[in-house]
Amino acid sequence: MSMFTYAGFVLGVMVVVYIVAKVFKLSTELSMFAAALGGALAGGFWIPTRHIAEGAMTYLDINLIFITATLFMNILKESGGVAFAVRGILKRFYRSRTLLVILLTVLLLLPGALTGAGSVTVLITGGMVAVVLETMGVSRVRTAAIVFIIAGLSAAAPPVSLWAMMTAAGVNMPYVGFFWPLLLPCVLLSLVTIFLLGWKGERIDLERALGELPQPPDRMGWGKVFLPLIVFGLLIFIGRHWPHDTPVLGLPLMFACAAGTSFFLSPVKLDFLKISRETIKQLLPLIGTLTCVGVLVQIMTLTGVRGLLAVTAVTLPVALVFATLFIVLPVSEAVLMWGAAPVLGVPLVLLFNNIGLDPIVALAGMSVIWPLGDALPPTAIIGRLTVEVVGFKEKYTQFLKACIVPGILIMAVGTLMVIYSSHLTFLTGL
Amino acid sequence: MTGRKFVFAACGLLLFASSGWSFYQSRNLEEQVVLSPGVTEVKRLGDYFDGIRGTVNDCYVYIMEGEEPGGTVFVMGGTHPEEPAARLAAWLLAENAEMDVGRMIVVLSSNRSASTATRIGGAYPPDFTIATDWGERTFRLGDRWANPLDQWPDPEVYIHYPSRQYLAYVDIRNLNRTWPGRPDGSLTERTTHAFMELIRQEEVDLFIDLHEAELQYPVISTIVAHDTGEELAAFTSMMLSDMEFNIGMEYSPPTLHGLSHREVGDHSDAVSLLFEAPEPFLDATRGKTTREQLLTGKDEFVVKAGEAGLLYEEIDESGWPMDKRVGRHTSTVLMTLELWTELNPDRPMRARGIPLYGEVLEMGLGHWLHDPAAAPPDRVVIE
Repeated sequence: MSMFTYAGFVLGVMVVVYIVAKVFKLSTELSMFAAALGGALAGGFWIPTRHIAEGAMTYLDINLIFITATLFMNILKESGGVAFAVRGILKRFYRSRTLLVILLTVLLLLPGALTGAGSVTVLITGGMVAVVLETMGVSRVRTAAIVFIIAGLSAAAPPVSLWAMMTAAGVNMPYVGFFWPLLLPCVLLSLVTIFLLGWKGERIDLERALGELPQPPDRMGWGKVFLPLIVFGLLIFIGRHWPHDTPVLGLPLMFACAAGTSFFLSPVKLDFLKISRETIKQLLPLIGTLTCVGVLVQIMTLTGVRGLLAVTAVTLPVALVFATLFIVLPVSEAVLMWGAAPVLGVPLVLLFNNIGLDPIVALAGMSVIWPLGDALPPTAIIGRLTVEVVGFKEKYTQFLKACIVPGILIMAVGTLMVIYSSHLTFLTGL
Repeated sequence: MTGRKFVFAACGLLLFASSGWSFYQSRNLEEQVVLSPGVTEVKRLGDYFDGIRGTVNDCYVYIMEGEEPGGTVFVMGGTHPEEPAARLAAWLLAENAEMDVGRMIVVLSSNRSASTATRIGGAYPPDFTIATDWGERTFRLGDRWANPLDQWPDPEVYIHYPSRQYLAYVDIRNLNRTWPGRPDGSLTERTTHAFMELIRQEEVDLFIDLHEAELQYPVISTIVAHDTGEELAAFTSMMLSDMEFNIGMEYSPPTLHGLSHREVGDHSDAVSLLFEAPEPFLDATRGKTTREQLLTGKDEFVVKAGEAGLLYEEIDESGWPMDKRVGRHTSTVLMTLELWTELNPDRPMRARGIPLYGEVLEMGLGHWLHDPAAAPPDRVVIE
């Protein structure tokens, strides 16, 4: 049997097992795990426990970043810091719609950019920003679309962009030089989205808006909101400025330090264990997905399925790859979530590198498109989470329709970044 | 519900026990070295720098003193244990080389920690076996980076010492990104610092770092030379390409830091060279990840990528077998020594017992791996 037939057969089995698992209403992460086991059995490896364990550890560091960053944001929320910041912004800028939407964009971008997870944005600031947007006269469906699109872009934004990190790791490329190629499109597209969907509305009823937002504790202040962020920034700065005189902390410990600072500065007594438990509960589907994606990718590599996808992708006509990126990336995200990055991102970046494109800018362009798939079935985790948090009760398809215009813009910008990446190389050196 | 939990817990326990046993076995696999009659002294890396003594990277250093004085060559294997031909070529030197003139120093596991873990997500087999004239020998297949069990966490970005160049965070565990190292750095940085001390204290004239590369990587089938070794590398490349096999020559980029071909030359008196052989097992487009693919280098998918013009080295159905890759390294070492002596008659080096490319192809590399059971116990080292 040729390698193409063998790997094609294993891939077929994996797809069938995944579909069957979904039909039996298994979660996405368990379906991926089942597909991995099916692939290993079909490939003649039986139950390769070493590979399952090794694959499950693939994203351990990223999971730790996830957990500690989300713990930090949750402590900030529970201490009243997030509510204080939203109310402060509203009170100060309610007269200027332009300034207000810009600040709301920043509030939506920050949690996801720091943690790499759009879900964290939706859970931490999404609900409160939605309240403000509604008081500005923005319809609920448009509010949901704004929160979802910017949450997705926040996940792609630096410093933590999981799609870029995972793909870069897969091609032995340093995760360096991505800051501006990721930040510029994410910020600009977020602003375009919020202005496009949230500009039309009515004057803000300050009293009503403040009444609907949670009341922060009396002793909460800007210093208590910013100090944990300053601690985090300071640790990054020290590590970069005196790298050979300071111990290596790693991002998880840095986020833990920020969380600790926020905890000790909280004006109200916080139940640390309860917040920790809720954080893990909140992240369990994401951690489970990343763990199972690791197992799936390991089995795909073991059986040659990854090689089959890679060699097929890199030998396709380039024009066809460009023309289908806008659909292939979101669909792969919808099926595999972050698993799309190592499975599809790696061969695509190799192809782009081989034809002389800038791999960093091209990968940044792809990373901007990927999160759109988080609204699509079968997973649609972030999309479903958003409509729940915002309280949108109508048909899910209406929410999808509201996302179409900014979605098309994001697809266009991302694809153009890939095609013209070699002209945008200067962004990597800024 | 309780029953379901019990079943899941039992499955988890089985997975833990079964995979744990596999990890334990490969981390503790005893790799034997039957010392060549030419090995006159076996030292540890910790003998040159206390900061590495007793750590997992306190590897063996095999020294072969020649009958006549001359120059000193240091051949390093195991920088990236996922490149096994580099390690095996060094093994052949340790088990067969004898110096007539000058001195040879050989290290087989320069990043021993990296040899104790396989690449996460890479689906590597934990080990591989080479058939010999008397039986077989099994070797660990490691990773490119030191084991996170020995060095963790990684920084958010790795800033190289002393250049301050920004590199991928994971490369703080990559032995070929941490040269020249520093005495109070990470395990990998201390390891390269210890090797720099070895190079200085043993007054090494010529340093050779053995590697393999994926065919999709531009620096392949070549000798990368520091400025001080350009003439030697160019002559070696010309002679080998004319007499045995095609091999190129590349200049070490002055602004790319942390690599041995740059930093050893910049921070010591030694001439620094790095040899690259082709290894299809490392290609991202490879098919099934198996021991067979590792040893034969045969891969339909990589051939297909080659047909599409995506590779920097040729490959066909015959692949890149291990014998071919090891033989390239041993012949390149021999030719380099010969030409070194011509260019530096005041510091000559002459070795014997090392098989040439054609000999390894003809008889298989297993022919030069000796039976530990037949050797005197004091001539066998557990690497």
